[in-house]
Amino acid sequence: MSSTPPATVILDSGAVTALSDVHHPKHRALLPYLEGAAQRRARKPSQRILVPVAVRIEAGWDCTDPAAAVANRVSGARDVPLTGEAADKAARIAAATGVSVVDATVGEAAGAAPKPVVILSSDVEDMGKLAERLSGDIRLVRV
Amino acid sequence: MAFDAGEVARALERLDEQEGDSVVTSVRVPQGLRRAASVLQEAGLLSSWNDLLVQGARDRLETIVHRAGLDAHYADHPELRPPVAEVALALARMDASELADQPEIVEQAAEELTAVRPDATADDVLTYATALLAHRSAA
Repeated sequence: MSSTPPATVILDSGAVTALSDVHHPKHRALLPYLEGAAQRRARKPSQRILVPVAVRIEAGWDCTDPAAAVANRVSGARDVPLTGEAADKAARIAAATGVSVVDATVGEAAGAAPKPVVILSSDVEDMGKLAERLSGDIRLVRV
Repeated sequence: MAFDAGEVARALERLDEQEGDSVVTSVRVPQGLRRAASVLQEAGLLSSWNDLLVQGARDRLETIVHRAGLDAHYADHPELRPPVAEVALALARMDASELADQPEIVEQAAEELTAVRPDATADDVLTYATALLAHRSAA
């Protein structure tokens, strides 16, 4: 088994939803992952936390909304824009795996990001379908 | 110091816009740094000095915003600050480390290490836990 720190951490919709609300049952469980990522970024700033824009839409994360203050400050995430090329890849992933459109954009982002990639997810089953489809070191971590 | 993390994030996202605004600014750079970048650029390992500065600054800014954001969150909700053992276990899971399945060793490492080094990081704990695991396997 390889033991290599991830170069990229990606948040799915469940993770973003949990992060956004301090009273969410999984909010507390997510913080150790983000704290660990933040500690490592202090030494290696090129490590990234990403969130596909479709995930933000599904989770209702509007950065300009004061209600998003918690997600804004604890996620440390950078947007992954949905370009035309990325949409084509996501469409192929959705067709091949049957996952939702939003999950397909998570898969597309994972495929394009520097490896190893960790997807922090509350839905390991659907994300597992994605990981089988994608090449490279992509790890699912259930929160 | 309080700041709007969303505003910083929105400003940084504008870097992804192809036609985004830019400003010319003057930065004093050590000659050695500039020379090293030039060598790498000539070798084709670096696209441009400007990209190097912008991406480096962006990565660093995001790191500072993330650290400050988490610290502000813990200040508002001290009960949410994860103990170092939990952070180390989370890192072990993300690293696909065998320690992910040995939470008791990670817990022991955190307890023993923080007793002598209260400021130990989660990666320090993982290093210590790796040694504990190797010692246990050899015994």
